[in-house]
Amino acid sequence: MITYITLEVRRTLRDTGFVVFGIGMPVVMYLLFTNLGISGDDKRETAISLMVGMAAYGALGSALSVGTGLAEDKTIGWLRQLRLIPLAPSHVVAGRALTGSVIVLPAIVAVLLAGRLINHVELAAWQWAALLGLLWIGTAPFTLLGLGNGYLLTAQTTGVVNVSCNLGLSIVGGLWIPSTNFPHWLRAISDWTPTHRFADLGWSITEGHAPGLLTTLTLLGWLAAFGGYALRSYRVCARTA
Amino acid sequence: MAPSALGVGRTPSAPLAVHLSNVSRTYGPVRAVDGLDLDIPRGQTVALLGRNGAGKSTSLSMLLGLLPPSSGEVRLFGAAPQRAVREGRVGAMLQDGKPIPRVTVRELVRFVASSYPAPLPVAETLAIAGLDELAHRRVDKLSGGQAQRVRFAVALAGDPELIVLDEPTTALDVAARRAFWEAMRRYARRGNTVLFSTHYLQEADENADRIVVIDRGRVAADGPADEIKRTVGGSLVAFDLAGAPSAGLALLPGVTSVEVHGDRARLRSSNSDATVMALAQRGAIRSLEVAPASLEEAFLALTTALTTAPTTAPAPARTQAATQRRTAAPIPPHAKEATR
Repeated sequence: MITYITLEVRRTLRDTGFVVFGIGMPVVMYLLFTNLGISGDDKRETAISLMVGMAAYGALGSALSVGTGLAEDKTIGWLRQLRLIPLAPSHVVAGRALTGSVIVLPAIVAVLLAGRLINHVELAAWQWAALLGLLWIGTAPFTLLGLGNGYLLTAQTTGVVNVSCNLGLSIVGGLWIPSTNFPHWLRAISDWTPTHRFADLGWSITEGHAPGLLTTLTLLGWLAAFGGYALRSYRVCARTA
Repeated sequence: MAPSALGVGRTPSAPLAVHLSNVSRTYGPVRAVDGLDLDIPRGQTVALLGRNGAGKSTSLSMLLGLLPPSSGEVRLFGAAPQRAVREGRVGAMLQDGKPIPRVTVRELVRFVASSYPAPLPVAETLAIAGLDELAHRRVDKLSGGQAQRVRFAVALAGDPELIVLDEPTTALDVAARRAFWEAMRRYARRGNTVLFSTHYLQEADENADRIVVIDRGRVAADGPADEIKRTVGGSLVAFDLAGAPSAGLALLPGVTSVEVHGDRARLRSSNSDATVMALAQRGAIRSLEVAPASLEEAFLALTTALTTAPTTAPAPARTQAATQRRTAAPIPPHAKEATR
């Protein structure tokens, strides 16, 4: 299965669209939003909170892109070809999910590096490590959401749905603009989004404490929901393919 | 991960590589495959011959376990097709797939080979498929013929016991086609089983031990090429009528069908000697020609007969003939070498 993951990761990293939009875009947005028209204490705080937000946004986009790639592979017949070699179907699915867990790393690392090297964000060593670790683990629900879309929908629809999920969840989750600026009703919704809770994993670390219980439970709930969705989509796909 | 790590042992040796028993597949009201019976002993090279929509691809999909049959039984090496695939005994080359993006030829072949328990060395696969010089190229940047060779390499990479090829030589030029069949014969000589579908009748004739003609989802004929040619009226006898009436020609000995184009009559005959003798007695031997029926004609005769039948059921005589052929003595493996 390692060889399968290697193959899929290689394919993803050779995708110019993935590199530009999945890795480059969050970094550019982060640098723009933190260096245009703000200064002083504001700038320092924004540099930290937006670093987490944009790393989360980049990770979200990368995780969802696993599903977009999967839907394309379904269309071109690569999934069919995989069923004709001795690789077990369960290993193909697991391999895809693990591919997702690898390809979210570049975006997270790139944004954190931009924070450290360009915006001079200073955190303790354990905070950097915990930040990287939690943002990495926290992408699991989104990988499953992407896979669910990819198995269920056609290539074109998956592309559109994944971009909508990406932008919608990023904005409502407060990854771009802090949800403290939202009207009350939107903030109430935002609190329950997986993306807000995902980024909250990182924000709690930058504030120097462990993630709260509610955040952890909400994320686990979304993990179960998207996991169920992915499984159901996979079954539908296996029946019709 | 190697399949041996999955705790799946090889199934015990079965004499048949492929066993399809009364297999049907319906899409709504359409019967794509309709009671197909096909047994392929190990080591045989079999051509599946049929027109577009005859049910070839659906049959191959069911045979490979990609599509569950609506009814009937499919076994590969005595086991369910999925199991034979998991054990690495099957390699396949499908027609409908597009090349996967952003992977080089060598990476793809290496990956496929690594999933089999006892693959060919990657370099050998590349050499057999004629891909040495393209190994570093990306699969999605190749020409149609080159991509076809990659599909072949993917089917071959694991050194499977059974190889299934859906129209393998489409998009290949003459030289590549010859190289392909040479490689296929080498592979078959090692005791492996080959099943390929084709439109190219000559290709089936030249490269298969046995030809199975599929029409309307059923076996229309099954046997060595010569036998198929014989069963549809071994020879064509043509002559100029020179104004004589064509009535009664169908009653001459051996004649199975009569066609008249202008002044020229073309008789299909199962016994050309007797037909010619009878024609000689009538004095109808102007520009007489006797030729063996080509496989193309045999194929057309078999499939059009069924197509023009008024009901979906084939003509009784045809069914009987097909059944007889199917129950005929099995062709021994490597009959091809023996007959050449």
